[in-house]
Amino acid sequence: MAVLVGLPAVDYAFAAGDEPGEYLDRRVLIWNLFYKMMTVAFITGSVVSGTIIWQVWRFRESHPKAKPTSYEGTDW
Amino acid sequence: MTLELQKPRPIWQIMFSTHHTDVGLLYLISSLTFLFLGGSLALGIRAELFLPGSQIIADAMTFNRIFTVHGTTLIFLFIIPFASAVGNYYVPIMVRYKDMAYPKLNAIAFWMIPPAGVLIWLGFADFTWYATPPYSIISAPGPAADMWIFGLKILGISSVLGALNFVVTILKCKHPDMSIGQIPLMAWSFLSSSLIIMVAIPTFAAALLMLLTDRLGVSGFFNPAMGGDPISYAHLFWFTFHPEVYVLVIPAIGMMYEIIPRFSRKPIYSYSSGVFAFVMLSIVGFSSWAHHMYATGMSFTEKTVFMVGTLAAVPASAMHVFNFVATMWNARIRFSTPMMWAVGGIALFFSAGAGGVVNSAMPLDFTTHDTYWVVGHFHLFVMGTIAFGSIGYLYYMFPYVTGRMYNETLGKIHFILSFIGTVLVFFTQHVLGLYGMPRRIYDYPPIPEWIAMNQIASIGAMIIGISMAVFLANMIHSAGKGKFADTDDPFGLGGKYYYPFEAKNPSH
Repeated sequence: MAVLVGLPAVDYAFAAGDEPGEYLDRRVLIWNLFYKMMTVAFITGSVVSGTIIWQVWRFRESHPKAKPTSYEGTDW
Repeated sequence: MTLELQKPRPIWQIMFSTHHTDVGLLYLISSLTFLFLGGSLALGIRAELFLPGSQIIADAMTFNRIFTVHGTTLIFLFIIPFASAVGNYYVPIMVRYKDMAYPKLNAIAFWMIPPAGVLIWLGFADFTWYATPPYSIISAPGPAADMWIFGLKILGISSVLGALNFVVTILKCKHPDMSIGQIPLMAWSFLSSSLIIMVAIPTFAAALLMLLTDRLGVSGFFNPAMGGDPISYAHLFWFTFHPEVYVLVIPAIGMMYEIIPRFSRKPIYSYSSGVFAFVMLSIVGFSSWAHHMYATGMSFTEKTVFMVGTLAAVPASAMHVFNFVATMWNARIRFSTPMMWAVGGIALFFSAGAGGVVNSAMPLDFTTHDTYWVVGHFHLFVMGTIAFGSIGYLYYMFPYVTGRMYNETLGKIHFILSFIGTVLVFFTQHVLGLYGMPRRIYDYPPIPEWIAMNQIASIGAMIIGISMAVFLANMIHSAGKGKFADTDDPFGLGGKYYYPFEAKNPSH
């Protein structure tokens, strides 16, 4: 995702010239990149954190549906 | 199975031993002592900041001394030596060797730590753990500053000797039947972090020498009055200490790689991705040091390079997290104390990582630079991830070291209180930073939001303090009077725990 989303945006920022008027565009673009990154980070973070919380509840050994793994009873 | 405390021996036998488990025990006791010393300073800091104005600390310089020694102690005298304790116990056993490659060097590396700790604590320097120049050169009071510099110098040598020993033990002393692709992931974590130390530390060693000669007035590397540049110190410092972040976190993740599969009753989901992620972190750790310095006037191009370099650590870190999540999937997990610490550590690792994305992005970095956001971010890493992984592993290895079981209820109380306290302190500090409170200040204006958030953070710190008291009582009582552990299966999980290779030292 970093390659597909991040790098083209950085390339785009560098495509701007060095004129004073275009300097501001770089800042806008980099903020834009930042918001994209934060959107990805927080969505991924929420999904992973939610998954961990669900796993803790669902795969605890006291859960009614808990069943032995295929490795139990072996010297894995 | 090696049980250090089950067969009591005179203390001098342990102190002058070069056997890896004895040295590991010394590292363990020393690091935990410094954990409590450094932690008590943190409580002092939080008590001072509970309200605006002077509370319990006399003046700003004393406050500066306290947080300088707090940071230095917990990073250099707790986290790194604790990892060495675990590595000393387990790495030789994991690679099926009788001891560390150079046992005497190993003992020397440990015995450098107490004098360094004494120098740092007797000096009580005031220039932050970063030794901020030009203040540290021009007007930081001696001999405190010089004692700190010598202390850090000794600790650097100790780290390099320890790292050298781990690398040789893993690469050259592993059993001939064992390929590098078969050593456990925790041993891989020690190999990765040791290689980082060997590359990164010499740079800081040079910077310390330059700092000292600057203080003596014979050079002016970082002294603007003599044509020097404090920013060059920042480059040298962060070239060492951004990779050092990975030196701290990689062994903690390695410890989680031992705990999570064991308590999930399954092997790790992907061994190769774990190895790949460790190697990747070791490499990309060196591509991001200047993200600490966006505010120093670097060019847009430089900042962009370091921003991308920093973000390169995200995929490798995510691989570890996904590996843990996949391992726990469809498992039958026993939430004993070590597992609770490990899972809590993963959750906070992800939170700290999300905050890191903000720091790495140069636009927002300017907003959060030198605010409490940064304090919250790195404390969430060092406490929420590294200390959580380390303390979880301490509970895991407790039966191995003592032959006795800790009190499970007290262990869980310790975790729950620490988790609540950590969230209260460090999440709040992020928000406090967004409200503009600078870091490293002794007093602050009576802004209602600042007061409220400082009080929440201080209450969280007190909760952590209480949890640590529970922890200390549990460790001391259980080591002497705890139930005897079933050392083949102390947690009742089945399978092989501690790599069934006997220590071969005749004294055992």
